[in-house]
Amino acid sequence: MDAISRTALVTPGRHAQGAARAHAVPFVAMQKRQRTPLGQRTPFAVAFPLAIIGAVIVALVLVATINGAPPRAQGRITVLAAASLADVLPKVDPAPRYSFAGSDTLASQLRLGAPADVFASANTTLPDQLYAAGLVEKPAAFTANKLVLVVPKANPAGISSVYDLRASDIKLLAGTAAVPIGSYTRKILAKLGLSTVLANVVSQEPDVRSILGKVGLGEADAGFVYLTDATSVSDKVKVIALPAWAQPPVRYGIAVVRSSAHRADAVAFINKLLARTGQATLAAAGFTAPKSLPTTYNGG
Amino acid sequence: MLARKQLFPAGLGLAALATATFLALPLIAIYTRVPIGRLVDQLGSRVVVDALVVSVKTTVIAQLLILLFGTPTAYLLATRRFRGRSLAITLIELPLVLPPAVAGIGLLAAFGRVGMLGGALTFLGWQVPFTQAAVVLAVAFVASPLYVRQAIASFEAVDPTLVDASRTLGAGEARTFARIVLPLAAAGLAAGTALAFARGLGEFGATIMFAGSLQGRTQTLPLAIYAEFDSNFDTALAIGGLLVAVSAVLLLSLKLGFRWKRSDSTSASRFAPSA
Repeated sequence: MDAISRTALVTPGRHAQGAARAHAVPFVAMQKRQRTPLGQRTPFAVAFPLAIIGAVIVALVLVATINGAPPRAQGRITVLAAASLADVLPKVDPAPRYSFAGSDTLASQLRLGAPADVFASANTTLPDQLYAAGLVEKPAAFTANKLVLVVPKANPAGISSVYDLRASDIKLLAGTAAVPIGSYTRKILAKLGLSTVLANVVSQEPDVRSILGKVGLGEADAGFVYLTDATSVSDKVKVIALPAWAQPPVRYGIAVVRSSAHRADAVAFINKLLARTGQATLAAAGFTAPKSLPTTYNGG
Repeated sequence: MLARKQLFPAGLGLAALATATFLALPLIAIYTRVPIGRLVDQLGSRVVVDALVVSVKTTVIAQLLILLFGTPTAYLLATRRFRGRSLAITLIELPLVLPPAVAGIGLLAAFGRVGMLGGALTFLGWQVPFTQAAVVLAVAFVASPLYVRQAIASFEAVDPTLVDASRTLGAGEARTFARIVLPLAAAGLAAGTALAFARGLGEFGATIMFAGSLQGRTQTLPLAIYAEFDSNFDTALAIGGLLVAVSAVLLLSLKLGFRWKRSDSTSASRFAPSA
């Protein structure tokens, strides 16, 4: 920018009095004057401040409606639940807010202070650990599941039993070692004497739903999931049962989160799952009752 | 009491302060949550080393592909005017604004086993998903616009009189490109390379959908953060710290490189007759 126009734009006031004025107002300012008669503001000059004020108001209204604060005031409980429960829990009780993910992810979130009322895990280890850490109340086992192998409907690798996974060019999916489905998978393979097929794992997935999704798409040849997940997309995958004698006990632990502001509602939710109708809904989805099912949740 | 004249600059200052604080705070928090020494220790863990190797390898390969194909493409778009040029540029820029998840699902739909080219690729014996090739494709897809855009701008900024002079002196178009245009655009091309490289290192969404996550094979640094977040938060933090540092160094060297370049280009006296 040249010196004259800079003076005109930045410091017109300094030259407002005196002889300098004729030189200082020049050029840029003059051009503007020609287009807009003195005292009349352009439509832009009027609209621009209005637009800014409007935008600020809209922004403030939006900010006020964001759930920046945990959703406590609204009376709905928040349930953090294993991904394998994603279809069945809303059928038992549609009221809570659900967050479904790998149980280990949810446990990490609780350790980092995520606001929640109930934690339902695909194993009992994680709730026990959180109980020991004082983050949840005493957990109860409320349902159980089984492991199966799924292959795409087209079954490109021609897999008919778990022993076929020993072929060298199979694209197998498993959960990470930290997520329950991944640790169960490693257990059952060890028991079957098939731990070497882990070499065929092409991706370690963060939760059971992403294993199911990629097998269902046909991108992988096979994956280990829960029986209940497999039956939920039976149009896309074929289920291959695994020997009952090798099945690890897959039990789901549930507990009220200690920081919950809705303990009564949280307990009521868990009792709904333990009650006959809740268990019937779970059974309809393929879940089984654990050996010792408590009649009500005590926590403590 | 502020004078009315000072209100505007004061407002600017406040807004700038709020912006800078907001942007800096999460980055600083990565380094303050656990002692730096522990972060550095975590960097030696197997997961981090494996992820670093995968990340550097795939990003470098992707970057080479971007340079190889992107540079001629950018030169073509910078020097020719043709029907559909805006459309071509839009296409090139699109991955920049697309959600990475869209890139992932698109790559699966195109190169997946049951995707558009899946049959042909399988016939040739290639199965792309869950391989390092898939990581390279994902990185190249999301990072290329940053380089190509910058390259087009750099080529357009080359003084056309120099190009014309070269041509009138008898150099062909290829020779002019190699001897005149490339050296003059080099700083801009380097900047684009650095930006694309940084973006490539950070690629997450398309990679996890298209290439999966397997330690030592397809698990890049961002995927390792995601995997370690559940089991080992300190390691996840350490990788985060590493990526912040690398990205900062890349951007800073870019700025310093440009400053050096600018001061160099103004020292015209080098060619002026000595007084």
